Amino acid sequence: MTPDSLFQLSGPLAMLGWLALLAAPLAPRLAQVVAAQVVPLVLAVAYAALILMHWAGAEGGFGSLSDVASLFANPWLLLAGWLHYLAFDLFVGAWEVRTARAEGIPHWQVVPCLALTFLFGPAGFFVFSALRLSAARTKG
Amino acid sequence: MTTLAPAAAPARFWRDAPAFAGLALFVALTALPLVVALPLDPRAFGGEAIWLKPLKFHAALVIYLATLALYARFMPAAAREGREWRRFTWIVCAAVVAELLWIDGAAALGVASHFNTVGLWKAVYPVMGVLAITLTAASLWMGLVIRRNGALDPALRLSLVLGLVLTFVLTVIAAMTMAQHPGHYIGTPVTGARLPVMGWSREVGDMRVAHFLATHALHALPPVGWLMRGRASGRLVVGLAAVAYTALVAATYVQALAGDPLI
Repeated sequence: MTPDSLFQLSGPLAMLGWLALLAAPLAPRLAQVVAAQVVPLVLAVAYAALILMHWAGAEGGFGSLSDVASLFANPWLLLAGWLHYLAFDLFVGAWEVRTARAEGIPHWQVVPCLALTFLFGPAGFFVFSALRLSAARTKG
Repeated sequence: MTTLAPAAAPARFWRDAPAFAGLALFVALTALPLVVALPLDPRAFGGEAIWLKPLKFHAALVIYLATLALYARFMPAAAREGREWRRFTWIVCAAVVAELLWIDGAAALGVASHFNTVGLWKAVYPVMGVLAITLTAASLWMGLVIRRNGALDPALRLSLVLGLVLTFVLTVIAAMTMAQHPGHYIGTPVTGARLPVMGWSREVGDMRVAHFLATHALHALPPVGWLMRGRASGRLVVGLAAVAYTALVAATYVQALAGDPLI
């Protein structure tokens, strides 16, 4: 196993979760199990294993931006960082779908937020929050 | 005055045209990252900070949508709750979102949105013109519907109708004239001197002046009708105000076409 081969596996795995979220109106509970639990937890286990294996020998740290850069110069930790993105972005995407459903926001309005969360995590979270706030005002 | 009590209820803002009110808030909130990027992004476009134009469009569309949401209370209830109007408001909202995606996206990529002459952006530009007319048509539609509201004070009603219809007619004329030129300037600026805030040229003709005034007809005339409500001469004063305002827009239009700055 190389960092590259694990990276290649991680993409389709995360994609499975995102596809489940896109199709969530068809099977809301299944979509949540896949996108909020199974996929993020598989990614979390892989992440934890990578940290256990490679953290001790790594250079750098969280103290400064250049520390973080040297941390990510290690391809195993760079992979771990990537899995961190994949896991948490998907988890947030699942939360968006769940929250929208609970608050009566139509799914088609959430889909662009999902696309944005998939590509640029926090930007999607931000736009979804703006949507949620706007929708809540018009329902009161 | 028959309509004043319900017209004064602030909660109606969110209820009468919920798609417009909600989108107004959404467009305002999504301007936040642009406000942060404005001083941080070193890129310039057309001599201005690159995020200035997107911010102006966010501001303009928030004001436009909020105004329509506010005026929706003057529509007859049946028209406001009718299927046609609801469907139309969603089309308008889609046009607003597409317009903003286009303008924000062009800024992020550092290319021209309007007046783009290259590749796909050039191809999309006329489509954006259609979307802009669609979203401006919301004021025309609302104006024509308010005209049928017999319960409204005549002076106030006339001022709303004229303001909304003139916003559409004059804006389309100004914007289409602008689109026939290579840019919003008529002439070539040398020093780049501009008015503060608005950014209009102080050297050459700037079509944005007429566009701005045309688009704000829906803010200029209804206050006149509001002040004149219940007066015998109300409709006459509103009519004269509409003529005067149209003349003002026409004057700035001719001035810009002649290549002269506002001041």
